[in-house]
Amino acid sequence: MSGPQTLGYVQVAIATALVVLAGGVSLTLKLGLERRLLWAALRTIVQLLLIGYVLKFIFGLDHPAAVLGICLVMVAVAAHAAIGRSEKTFAGLYGLSFLALVASSLITTTVVTQGVIRIDPWFKPQYVIPLLGMILGNALTGISLCLDHLLQELKDRRAEVEMELSHGATRWEAAKRPLSDAVRRGMIPIINAMTVVGIVSLPGMMTGQILSGTDPLEAVKYQIVVMFMVAAAAAMGSMFVALLVYRRLFNNRHQLCWQVIQDKPK
Amino acid sequence: MNASVSEPLLDVRDLAVTGGPHRLLEGLSFQLASGDRLAITGPSGCGKSTLLRALAGLDDPAAGEIHFNGRGREAWGWPQFRRQVVLVDQRPVLLNETVGANLCRPFAYRTSDNNPFPEERARQLLDEFKVGASRFDQDARTLSVGQQQRVCLIRALLLSPAVLLMDEPTSALDEEAIQEVEQRILTECSERKMAALIVTHDGGQARRWCERHIDLKPFLSSPSRARAGGEA
Repeated sequence: MSGPQTLGYVQVAIATALVVLAGGVSLTLKLGLERRLLWAALRTIVQLLLIGYVLKFIFGLDHPAAVLGICLVMVAVAAHAAIGRSEKTFAGLYGLSFLALVASSLITTTVVTQGVIRIDPWFKPQYVIPLLGMILGNALTGISLCLDHLLQELKDRRAEVEMELSHGATRWEAAKRPLSDAVRRGMIPIINAMTVVGIVSLPGMMTGQILSGTDPLEAVKYQIVVMFMVAAAAAMGSMFVALLVYRRLFNNRHQLCWQVIQDKPK
Repeated sequence: MNASVSEPLLDVRDLAVTGGPHRLLEGLSFQLASGDRLAITGPSGCGKSTLLRALAGLDDPAAGEIHFNGRGREAWGWPQFRRQVVLVDQRPVLLNETVGANLCRPFAYRTSDNNPFPEERARQLLDEFKVGASRFDQDARTLSVGQQQRVCLIRALLLSPAVLLMDEPTSALDEEAIQEVEQRILTECSERKMAALIVTHDGGQARRWCERHIDLKPFLSSPSRARAGGEA
């Protein structure tokens, strides 16, 4: 098996020609996208170089506290992104999103790094950080879709929920429909992705491994683990956040605290 | 006005309710015994519906106490309390299912204690309320608003509640249907000793239907009174 083909900065510079080509298309067709394209290309370079140096630094430290620290930052940023999409919100929603991400990513990352890959030492950053990144990316998509749907449903179908409560339903019985609809919504993208994986497109991680010289079958095994891992992360993330929102919006007098839900300022 | 009745089923003491930041009603006390029929009237926006929501425990009152059968509502457990003191909202709320499934749904709740759904009685009530038993398998949301309002009343009556709280229960009905519904509720109250509390803006209905009547005007909070006075 040949080792990975390393790239020099000159070679990366040659790839820049491809972006210039895209700029040419914009110029020819007068799309007016050149500035935005230039800005986006610069951001790609700067952001990726920055994260590259950060990773290199963390890998160099090889200390559990440094790895856990960057993991915490990643979860905090993901928790913010997860609530960004929803049109409705309430006080404390960020905390719930953060908790759901911590719980779902902690469980899946632990199972995969300690049970499946069995990395040594347990915090080996080359594994923990990229795996956590994939887990968070999928969990946050699930949480974001689930939240958006759940808050909208509880606002729109408040009359139905309260009708059930006023006929003797417990808060759980009254909330079950909107809750399960929302969790289903959160899980659909990853189920779709699992259905078409390898047929429509090769997943990024597998492509990366093959490019860097790994045997395709080895890459496939890794990819299967990754697909199951992100599916579990999305499912758990959606479920946890739905349960946390349920606990917050239904009090122990079995009332729906609908006044808490606010429209987000545009 | 604060008619005291022997062995009150529902005992409301010094109740105050708010709508958003405004206090709407205060100092309201009344009692309701088995078989009682009580009408509550008041100017629109004075807090009649808010009062019913507070009685049913869907919102918390701003002040005061509500006892059911001699115990606080939390002592019953909120779902168990609401199973016995059922609220029928002014707007008919039906799930996107058949009429039968809507009527059957509350019997799936844990508070129903595995009581079977009385399908025969449901069909009978559909006929009596002039909805028609033949509509049992029809999608509930394809019914007219008036029919939906009656299905909601039937759903509540099937639970055989001790107290039925009704918010403008006949607002979408024609004269004939109103009489049918009024007659049916009267029968439930006299035969089954159900207590009924009706919020209505129709003074005629209040007199016709109920033996007691509370006008909310004296219980309006000062700002509400000022608003109501301004409207008049």
